[in-house]
Amino acid sequence: MPPKPHRVLLDRVSGYADEASAFLRRRRLTRRPFARVHAPGGRAIACAPETEEGRELFLAASRVIDASRLGD
Amino acid sequence: MVAIFADVPDQGENAAPTAADAQVAVARLLEVSADARGCVILDPRGEPLAASGPIEYWGEAGRALLAAADAAAGEPVSHAHVGTEDGEAFAVRLDDLALVAATERFTLAGLFLFDARAVLRELARGPAAAAVAAPQREAA
Repeated sequence: MPPKPHRVLLDRVSGYADEASAFLRRRRLTRRPFARVHAPGGRAIACAPETEEGRELFLAASRVIDASRLGD
Repeated sequence: MVAIFADVPDQGENAAPTAADAQVAVARLLEVSADARGCVILDPRGEPLAASGPIEYWGEAGRALLAAADAAAGEPVSHAHVGTEDGEAFAVRLDDLALVAATERFTLAGLFLFDARAVLRELARGPAAAAVAAPQREAA
């Protein structure tokens, strides 16, 4: 006897939710600090923290994040 | 049904956004983007129009991030995204305006950039654009 249609739908939604939560969990565990800049033509450059450009970007980003902590 | 608008101003004909318009845009971004902690909007000269906190501090921080991103790319960037342990920083340019923001960690970059560009686009087109967009959002 085939399963009821709504059970198929519920199983499918539950499956997607499980996949999504696993993806987010892996993302949190594996993610490292990064800096990426995107030029108007679609060119993207990843700047490692060890490089001069990367260091400047991380310093500037820290100031922006600090500014958000100052409040009004 | 066909509708014809008799008077549709060109995008470039609007006056530069005022500080009050920019303050509304800042409030709108913080409202629509759940992960945003704060932001600043810079005018074409790099001067802060409005910010969610101390405007001078935000202005300097925003200019510094844009300058560092431009230096890294070797040309003016369309956007930049830096992820750190403490949070994430975004810089977005649209037309002559720029928006620099701090968000929570693990923000979905695509969603945030969409919101930031929408806010900047409405600001660049003037208050009329925001007034038209609001009923559309409510109807959706």
